[in-house]
Amino acid sequence: MAEQILPDDLALRTGRRERALAQMEANDLDVLVLGRQANVRYVTGAPQLWVAGTRPFAPICVLVRATGEIHLNSSWDEGIPEEIGHDHLYGLAWNPMTNIEVLKHIDGASTARRVGTDAMSPSFAQLLPMAFPNAELVDGEGAMKAARRTKTPDELRVLRGALAVAERGLAAAVSELAVGTTEQALNGVLMEAMTAGGFSTSATQDGAWVTSREHSWRVGRRDVRVQDGDLVAFAAGALADGYVGEVARTWPVGEVAGADALYRRSNDLWERLVDACRPGAPASDLLAAYEAAGESLPPMPVAHGLGLGFDPPVISPDLPQTSAGEVLDPGTVLAVTAYVWEPGVGAVFSRDAVLITDDGPEVLTSSPAFNSAAVGTS
Amino acid sequence: MYRECGARLRASMKDKGVDALVLLGNGNVVYATGASWPLLDAGLSHVERPVAIVLADDEHPHLYMPFREGSAFDSELPDDHVHGPLYLEFDEGVEHFAKILTGLVPSGATVAVDELTGAMRRAGARLFPAGPPSDAALVVGPAKLVKTIDQISSVRKACRITEQAVVEVQKSLAPGVRQIDLSAAFVRRAFELGATTNMIEAIWQVMPTTRNSGAVWTTTGDLALPLLPTEKELAKGDVLWTDVSITYEGYCSDFGRTWVVGEEPSPQQQAQFAKWREILDAVLAVTKAGATCGDLARAAIAANGGKKPWLPHFYLGHGIGTNAAEMPMIGTDLGEEFDDNFVFPAGMLLVLEPVVWEDGTGGYRSEEIVIITEDGHQSITDYPYTPYGAS
Repeated sequence: MAEQILPDDLALRTGRRERALAQMEANDLDVLVLGRQANVRYVTGAPQLWVAGTRPFAPICVLVRATGEIHLNSSWDEGIPEEIGHDHLYGLAWNPMTNIEVLKHIDGASTARRVGTDAMSPSFAQLLPMAFPNAELVDGEGAMKAARRTKTPDELRVLRGALAVAERGLAAAVSELAVGTTEQALNGVLMEAMTAGGFSTSATQDGAWVTSREHSWRVGRRDVRVQDGDLVAFAAGALADGYVGEVARTWPVGEVAGADALYRRSNDLWERLVDACRPGAPASDLLAAYEAAGESLPPMPVAHGLGLGFDPPVISPDLPQTSAGEVLDPGTVLAVTAYVWEPGVGAVFSRDAVLITDDGPEVLTSSPAFNSAAVGTS
Repeated sequence: MYRECGARLRASMKDKGVDALVLLGNGNVVYATGASWPLLDAGLSHVERPVAIVLADDEHPHLYMPFREGSAFDSELPDDHVHGPLYLEFDEGVEHFAKILTGLVPSGATVAVDELTGAMRRAGARLFPAGPPSDAALVVGPAKLVKTIDQISSVRKACRITEQAVVEVQKSLAPGVRQIDLSAAFVRRAFELGATTNMIEAIWQVMPTTRNSGAVWTTTGDLALPLLPTEKELAKGDVLWTDVSITYEGYCSDFGRTWVVGEEPSPQQQAQFAKWREILDAVLAVTKAGATCGDLARAAIAANGGKKPWLPHFYLGHGIGTNAAEMPMIGTDLGEEFDDNFVFPAGMLLVLEPVVWEDGTGGYRSEEIVIITEDGHQSITDYPYTPYGAS
């Protein structure tokens, strides 16, 4: 963030737009109608007001393949790239018919044969044919996922910035770890630090928690006070210039019996996970790394693509076939999770960003991790 | 949290002839299940998201919950109604979902959904053998309108947390402070006080001196709002329109006040506030169960000398609940007929946010939340107008 709201720079937005247009061609889409914030940012390069959580589908942005023209739902021009002229902006509306009237008059709408949307609601499924009378309405999210899958060099630059914001937030929260503080207070410190770093938007808001000794992943309210002997997990999720940066670490409070062995298991698992991040390898190798390390698969994705949100692949024990079919292509950035748990001790959880390059994995995050050899020196 | 509104939701399903609801939208899932969790960014939340299935003949909804590591999530649902995650963005996840749906929903049953992912659209015939689903928004919307005591209590608590956090923020307001510093102070205090989610990018918009001072072009020729915060330092005399929202137990707060940086409001600025207060009072005078959106809009316009005291791309007021802005919206492009046909029930929540503007003053805007009662309204907002008002 700066003193002015600016669009994403020209190289960044044109590089992404080329990929979106190429995927439109590959998927035989004449028009893309996008409602998801990440897709809209990808195509337009315009920052939008950030709101947490899902939004119902609405036609926020329209991309016409034949002309490359973009129409965007915005009531003003602050932060709008120069190539999207005033006559291509349409204001906020509450009546879906207002939007349909706008879409109807877009050049290329009446003749489009195939129109892709990135999601759909039953209401818009009925209304959109009025704007695109000759078109078949099909899924456009597949095309956007394909476009977003690997990152352009400019995207990598911005993504590194988002990771740095997350790492600063994490460091601030870790520095406040002490007996008697609360999970909510640590989360507050983390969110404050990310915001003060220039970004009042966040990817995740679950910043710190005492890991459970009783359950392999704790489910419950965030109102616990930190005590001696706890393993406390920190997870920072920044959203900076539209890109998600995630990093996580676990720190012990005082002497934690059994922690050394658990950290060793975590390190062993992490090394296997990084080894699995090889170009051309199936994504399911990351699931296999857990098995090879003798660790139980956690209930959350073991890794997911980073970009403007969750990018493919999503490597989860709940999606075994999908993970086996996904190949790790160079240019993919993964948030890789190492999670180990021991009854009576707690969990050691870490998350790092790994870029798949032609030569192998490059770890993009460098937040300090607890080093058991250093215990007792502080 | 969900029992009473669950009954309302099932009554609405019966009304619309819907046998099963499939809900993907975060706000709808919170409403139907009472589940509360820290919401993710939109880019993450469509992949890793809770899904609810509500059956017309089951008092408990089914919840399919992605457990982020150590996920802060609390549920009052019976154990056999809480399940692992569904990944509806993926064909494999939808295959799994189809089996679940077949097991829960009898063939021939009518289904409503609030969103269809690409993978769901590809599997449409299998998921919905009785034909294309109807829009769940039409079922959930009317049910959400009247709040239960629990829901009002959560909104009130969210507002208290917000207001307490804002007290610290307002104290720090001074020339040289950046908008982003205000945002940082706000999130820290809000989480310390127990917020679950920060809902929007906090707005501390420096208002221009004239309606169309040229800095920002708008489609309406009127003021731009809300503009995103920056790292620019605030200057003495800047007029800020503020807007923040958090959730507590899944329910939203909404806060808005106008502040002046580093000095007292001028007599002209005070007059703007007096005008705003006059409009709000005129609106509140007609606010009660049985009134319509149209009644409030007309009262506001009359008090403002015949002109709409709200921005053309927004509204005079809106509902609030699991979303920061819900139906009804008052005075929008939905039209006067919509406004006149929308009758307020008792127990509805309304956020009123008239706007007044005179060039050279920075204008005035604040937000007031009220509960609609049989004979009037009850305020939820509890925050002073300082530095405006009686000195």
